[in-house]
Amino acid sequence: MTTLTDRYVAATLRSVAAARREEIAAELRASIEDMIEGRTAGGQDPATAEREVLTELGNPAELAARYTDRRLQLIGPTYYLAWQRLLTRLLSFVPATVGTVVGVIAAVDEKTTGGAVGQGITTALQVALHICFWVTLVFAFLERTNAAQHLPKWTVDQLPKERVDRQITLADTAGAIAWIGLVIAYLPLQRYRSFVTDTDGGNLPVFDPALWSFWLPFLIAMLVANAGLELAKYRVGHWTWPLAAANAVLTLAVAVPVVWLLQTDRLLNPDLVARFDWLQQGSNLDAVTALAAGGTILVVLWEIGYGVVKAYRNRR
Amino acid sequence: MPSDDVLRTHLQELRRGTVVVASLVALRRPDYGYALLQRLTGAGFPVDANTLYPLLRRLEEQGLLTSEWNTEESRPRKFYRTSEEGERVLTRLLDDLAAVQTSMTALIEGADR
Repeated sequence: MTTLTDRYVAATLRSVAAARREEIAAELRASIEDMIEGRTAGGQDPATAEREVLTELGNPAELAARYTDRRLQLIGPTYYLAWQRLLTRLLSFVPATVGTVVGVIAAVDEKTTGGAVGQGITTALQVALHICFWVTLVFAFLERTNAAQHLPKWTVDQLPKERVDRQITLADTAGAIAWIGLVIAYLPLQRYRSFVTDTDGGNLPVFDPALWSFWLPFLIAMLVANAGLELAKYRVGHWTWPLAAANAVLTLAVAVPVVWLLQTDRLLNPDLVARFDWLQQGSNLDAVTALAAGGTILVVLWEIGYGVVKAYRNRR
Repeated sequence: MPSDDVLRTHLQELRRGTVVVASLVALRRPDYGYALLQRLTGAGFPVDANTLYPLLRRLEEQGLLTSEWNTEESRPRKFYRTSEEGERVLTRLLDDLAAVQTSMTALIEGADR
């Protein structure tokens, strides 16, 4: 019959090198039996004593790791920072670069912009996944071969030149302004090239052309003001109460009209809605507008909350 | 009052190295795993079984302990004993422990309260 002790010893030995297995098994078994005996001598029944002793010894995989000095971590403190630095550095530009190149080539090749964008994004995601996997694999291997000596030592010269209290980096600002720029560029562009076509292959604007009389120019102005705020944030370098307030006002200045126009069915081009049968069915259009409005509100709450929390943490 | 967790971690840190010293001292008289565990606990060095057993093997691999199987009793047991090399290391460790104690005493006495 197989006892709990047999199973425990077998489970412990599974990850121990074969050469040492027999000796560790004999010693471990004797120790366990000694421990059980110590408890039964005090009047405990053997079955309970066995359970308690094995529980005390704990997870057999952990015990085996102690016997063999095996690392119970994928990447330990020696390599973690180097791993993190290399990974973020590669992820910051390689996937985007490769994705853009592939997307441009696909656009030139196939002439369908939608498909090309999709292909670019898919490629970028795949590249990112590959980078994560291979970089981690290499470091996990290094961790297990103890080749720690070859890491470059930290020196004082590596200290960042920026001010200590800089919360808003150039990369953040450049990214935010580039994004706003793209949105601003798309608003007039979608009148002539929205990447959505009608049944004859002609262009179909996404937004209601009637909005050009006031709301779209207003939104563009507010987006420009948002870009200005990004610059102001960079100049100050960290979140302050006035910046958080301006951020809240400008975010609302964009979001409130968008949500309101969505709810009153005035944002989307009626021809666009008519083009897709699916939007006509039942309450599908309402579901889409509710989803878009809900998403916008979430983004707004995040945006405003982020500025307020950062400003609150910076209070003197 | 610090939380129990904080206190426990610091006590663990403080005790960690002393298990090796205590084992090397105790094994001047040969003994097997479980009996050593009992002796250490009795002498005020409580140690977990799953720490002590692997530790004994590691000290043996480092040459600080020698071992011998005793098959005379009811079940075969592996007896460990502090080796000559272990004795040399132990002398250094005990010196250092005493030095720590001396420095700490001096620091306590010299410090303004």
